[in-house]
Amino acid sequence: MNRNLFLKELRRNALSLVIWMSVITLFISGTMAVYPTFLENQSKILGMISIFPSELLQFKGISNFADLLSALGFYAVNNIIYMMVLGSIYSIVLSSGILLREEYNKTAEYLLTRPLTRSEVFVSKLAVLSLNVFLLNLITALAGFISLELVKNEPFSIRAFLILSLYTLLLNILFGAIGLFVSTLIKRAKPITTFSIGLVLIFYFIFTLSKITEGVSKIGYLSPFRYVNTNATDPAYAIDLWHLLYFIGISLLLTGLAYRLYNRKDIYT
Amino acid sequence: MSVNAIEISDLSKFYGKARGIEHVNLEISEGEIFGFIGPNGAGKSTTIRILMNMIFPTSGSARIMGMDVIRETKKIKSHVGYIPSDANAHFSMDVHEFLSYCIRFYRVHNGEQRIADLSGLFELDLKRKIAELSMGNRKKVSIVQSLLHSPGLLILDEPTTGLDPLMQSIFFELLRSENRKGMTIFFSSHILSEVQMLCKRVAIIKEGKIIQVEDIETLRKKQLKKVYIEFGDKMKIEGFDIPGIEGITTGPGNILSFMYSGNINELVSMLSVNKIINLMIEEPSLDEIFMHYYKL
Repeated sequence: MNRNLFLKELRRNALSLVIWMSVITLFISGTMAVYPTFLENQSKILGMISIFPSELLQFKGISNFADLLSALGFYAVNNIIYMMVLGSIYSIVLSSGILLREEYNKTAEYLLTRPLTRSEVFVSKLAVLSLNVFLLNLITALAGFISLELVKNEPFSIRAFLILSLYTLLLNILFGAIGLFVSTLIKRAKPITTFSIGLVLIFYFIFTLSKITEGVSKIGYLSPFRYVNTNATDPAYAIDLWHLLYFIGISLLLTGLAYRLYNRKDIYT
Repeated sequence: MSVNAIEISDLSKFYGKARGIEHVNLEISEGEIFGFIGPNGAGKSTTIRILMNMIFPTSGSARIMGMDVIRETKKIKSHVGYIPSDANAHFSMDVHEFLSYCIRFYRVHNGEQRIADLSGLFELDLKRKIAELSMGNRKKVSIVQSLLHSPGLLILDEPTTGLDPLMQSIFFELLRSENRKGMTIFFSSHILSEVQMLCKRVAIIKEGKIIQVEDIETLRKKQLKKVYIEFGDKMKIEGFDIPGIEGITTGPGNILSFMYSGNINELVSMLSVNKIINLMIEEPSLDEIFMHYYKL
C-alpha cells in the first residue's frame, strides 16, 4: 500500500463520507424519534396496520405486530432496510468510481507514472474503500444505538442489534466489491454512477418482488438482500453461517477478480 | 557495457482489430535527446503508454535502462519523469498541494526547495488552484511535476501545447541543461520544427510503423521544402528535370508546385532562366514529409 495515495484518497472522499453519514444518522434519529408517539397510539396504529395486505407486512419484516412494540423491533422494521439500501448505494458509488475516476478525470497519467505497481494502487484504494464503508457503518450503527438507548422503554438485546449491524456491514461490503469488479470491466473511461445505483435498486426490487409475489419467490435468491435476516426480535435470532459465508465468499471473489483485472487492464485517459 | 536508455523490440499493440503500433523497434542511448514525430493517431502515445506501463503490448517487449517495462515498472518509474499531452487534471488542488503530492512519491531531499526552484523558473503561482490556471500554466505545472525528482530519463508527450514562445524557449533551455547533466530525453511531438530545434536524432512514425530513424543533421541537410512557383509563360512538367524535385503538380494558370530536397540557392538559380512572377517556399506538412520518406 502507498501511504501518500491512501491519504490523498482519504481526503478526497472525506466530504462525501460526512454527508452520507449525516444523512443516514438524521434519517435514523428522525425515525426513532417517532417511536414514543407510536407507543402512545399503538392500538390505533396497529389497527391501521392490520388492514394492510399480509405480503406488504411480510416485506416490511413484520411477522408479529408485537415486534413493532419493542424499540429494537421498531428499529429493525423502520430503519435497517433503508440503512442497508442507502449504505449499499454509498458503497457501490464509492467503489465503482475509486479506480475508474483516475481515468475519466485524466489523473491516471499522473498516478500510474509514479513509482507504484498496479497492486499498490489497487490496495491503497481498497483500503480507503474499506475504511470508509466501515466508518459509515460504525457511525450510523452508533447513531442507531444511541437512538435506541434514548427511546427504549425496556432493555433490548445488544447481541441482536450487533447482528443487524453486522448484516448491514456485510451487505455494504458486498456492494463495494460489486462496484469495484464492475469498474474494472469498463474499457473506456466514463462514470458508471447511475448504473451502480441502478444495480442496488434492481437487486432491492428483485428482493421486494420475491417477497410480495407468490410464485416468483425463488428469484429472490439472486438478490444479496435475500441473505439478510432482519427479524431481530426473534429469540433465536442469530447470524446464519451460510449467509455469512455467502457475503464473505462473494466479496472476496469479486475483489480478487477486480484485483486481477486491474493489474492487466489497459488504462486510457 | 553501456545500456540503452530505451530499447523497444518488435513492439505491437492492437485494439481488437484496430492497429495501434506494429513491429516498432527503437534504441535510444543514454544521454540522447531523441525526437519521436508523427501526426495524431500515428502511434506516438500508444508507444509511450506501453513504456509507462499504462497499456500492455500485444507482442514484443520494451526495456528502460535495461529493465522490463512490465515486470520492473516501479523501479523504472523512480528514474523516469513523464509529461502527458493532456495537462487538464487535479482541478480541485492548488499548485503547491499538487506538486507536494507528486514529490512525496519519491525520496527527494529538500523537496520544498526543489518545488520553489522549478516553480520560480516557470513563474508559477503556487497558491492558485489548478482549475483557475490557463492551459499554458497547467502545462507548466505538468512540466515541473515531471522534473521534481531529477529523473535520468524524461518522456514528453506533446509537451509544448499551450506554452507561449518565451516559456517554450525557457523550457527547451532547461531540457538542454538537464541533458548536459546526463538526462536522456524522449520527445514526442507532431511539430517537426521543435523536434529539429531540440533533438539529435528522430524517429518518424506513421500509421503505427516507424518509417525512418534519422540523425537530425541528416534531416536538416535534406532541407525538404514545399515550393510554389508561378511562371510568366506556360511551363511543361516534363521540362523540369532538376535533381531533388519530386511530386510536381500543376495549379491554376502557370503555377507549379513540388517538393524540393537540396540547396535552395541552386534551385533558384536553375529556375531563374525562366520568367518567374511569384515564388513561395514553405515548410512542408508532415504528411508531405512522410510521403517523401515513403518514396525514399
